[in-house]
Amino acid sequence: MKVLVVEDEALLRHHLQTRLGESGHIVDAVPNAEEALYQTHEFNHDLAVIDLGLPGISGLDLIRQLRSHGKTFPILILTARGNWQDKVEGLAAGADDYVVKPFQFEELEARLNALLRRSSGFTQATIEAGPLLLDLNRKQATTNGEPLALTAYEYRILEYLMRHQQQVVAKDRLMEQLYSGDEERDPNVIEVLVGRLRRKLEAQCAMKPIETVRGLGYLFTERCR
Amino acid sequence: MSRRWRRLQARVRHQLTGAMSLRLRLMLGAASLAVLFMLALLPALQGAFSLSFEKVIEQRLAADASTLISAAQIEDGQLQMPERLPDEEFDLPDAQLLGFIYDRRGELVWHSRSAADERIDYRPRYEGRTSEFLRTRDAAGVEYFVYDVELQLAGSRANAFSFVTMQPTSEYLSLFGEFRRQLYVWLGSGLLVLLVLLWLGLTWGFRTLKRVSAELDQVEAGQRDRLSDDHPHELLRLTRSLNRLLDSERRQREQYRNSLGDLAHSLKTPLSVLQGVGETLAAQARSREQAQVMQAQIERMSQQIGYQLQRASLGKSGLVRHRVQLRPLLSSLCSTLDKVYRDKHVEVEMQLPEHCLVPMEQGALMELLGNLLENAYRLCLGQIRISARNSEGDLLLGIEDDGPGVPVDQRARIIRRGERLDGQHPGQGIGLAVVKDILDSYGGELSLGESALGGAIFQIRLRAD
Repeated sequence: MKVLVVEDEALLRHHLQTRLGESGHIVDAVPNAEEALYQTHEFNHDLAVIDLGLPGISGLDLIRQLRSHGKTFPILILTARGNWQDKVEGLAAGADDYVVKPFQFEELEARLNALLRRSSGFTQATIEAGPLLLDLNRKQATTNGEPLALTAYEYRILEYLMRHQQQVVAKDRLMEQLYSGDEERDPNVIEVLVGRLRRKLEAQCAMKPIETVRGLGYLFTERCR
Repeated sequence: MSRRWRRLQARVRHQLTGAMSLRLRLMLGAASLAVLFMLALLPALQGAFSLSFEKVIEQRLAADASTLISAAQIEDGQLQMPERLPDEEFDLPDAQLLGFIYDRRGELVWHSRSAADERIDYRPRYEGRTSEFLRTRDAAGVEYFVYDVELQLAGSRANAFSFVTMQPTSEYLSLFGEFRRQLYVWLGSGLLVLLVLLWLGLTWGFRTLKRVSAELDQVEAGQRDRLSDDHPHELLRLTRSLNRLLDSERRQREQYRNSLGDLAHSLKTPLSVLQGVGETLAAQARSREQAQVMQAQIERMSQQIGYQLQRASLGKSGLVRHRVQLRPLLSSLCSTLDKVYRDKHVEVEMQLPEHCLVPMEQGALMELLGNLLENAYRLCLGQIRISARNSEGDLLLGIEDDGPGVPVDQRARIIRRGERLDGQHPGQGIGLAVVKDILDSYGGELSLGESALGGAIFQIRLRAD
């Protein structure tokens, strides 16, 4: 998933970027609201972690602006004070959850995963489509109980398509799942990855759930639960 | 009976000494002044009236005496009076006006027909003085005004007579009584009107004070920030300095809160970094133990910082007694928690009186209820009940859930302040410790019991003043 981190403290920002990256997310980490607005304008994020105590435009104002720009991705706020006034204001402004600093990364990650599940309409930690089962916490796919060997990139593509089942997903969207904002991109890589995914799925359980919609993108046709 | 009497006495004493209202004091003062003034006025008015009235009677009797004098004639050294006098009042037997003539030895030599059957023991003393006005009584005790003029007729000392005219005082007395009655009626109703006007005037005057107190109520209820400048100039000095005080207190609190917020941010963000580093270190086998120690200490520090900062920012304000509408505050807290615990679909039931006001500062009440409500949301199965009611002047707030509840033997320990602050479950102790601290500073009490819903009920008792 593509995650935006807005935190002014460089070390903490770096820490979040590294740990979220290790968990299989693509992370855009920025130090202030202006850059956050630019990032969200340019790319499609699935989630944002926003510190309330930002310099310049405050975290609260950033959340309000994002919501007024029609951004619907879940937002988790980090608050140092941890008082209820901040939490109530933050959630009233449009955030979805809060974590009080300092936090253990595991707690933050659990909250983020819960938000992601909720935003894609899945409240369980797994997504199921026929014989195919995705364990969102362990980032692993199985078919009929047997592990499906996927690379990290393949897994990300599959998870994203399954989360957006029966919707046409543009190639650019998938690209954003693989690269953060400032990385060099190879336009052919998506086709290659999707091709490999299709082959693996067909080989292991004879599934053909991914269709190409010419000129638009890809479609996961199987119904997911 | 005697106890009730004593209580009544105490209340009256209390009213008279300490807590009597300013308006009542002014009313009592002005009323007693008015009564004193009228009591002094009464004899003066009466004296003036009776003086002028007696003067009128004297003049009338003098005129009547002149009639007698002009009618009297000396013939052969004897006093002669005509059969009929020009003033016919002397001639009617039942008339009130009596006429007498005495010689210089004081012997009665003539009396008018009206005085025929009067027995008045009056002896003029002939002293050569011209005239006298006095009172006397007859045998029956009837009082008379007497006008006595001494005169020598025909220029001879032998013909010196006292001409006396009399009139009963009953007419005067009844007139005077009427006057006095009228005077009392007028003064009484005057006093009444004065008091009513005074009351109205004071009410009008005190309306400005009432307005100040109404505005203070609004300040306390958070409906306005400061008192208006729309007050009479005698009060403006007071309201302005009150405003300055309010402003400076608010500024100070804000500043205090902001700097506490900054402090929290500047302490806790580095702690978050350390936490991250600790986690990274913990992943390496050879430094795991040290990293765990480090993380525990970080946890402890951050809890202490959080706790002390919250504590410092949530004291009771001294200047105004804040009052917060409970329902909107609960609604915003619940919508926040509903969002966080969205998957749980918690059903919240509120049993609150309309316009329930809580005598606390907004931020403190929010921390208090936020912590208790989050507990309830976290532990409930799907049902929470929030109730508020007044009991003997106290406000009772209850927050209950249908969760597992707290065993009886653990309740006292949970309620005790800061019990779990350094304990085994980081992050859970602060909430209740803060709740306890806030309640302590507001003189409230917290108790923990078993809810009808099946879980725990946290009950708060707040004194309403």
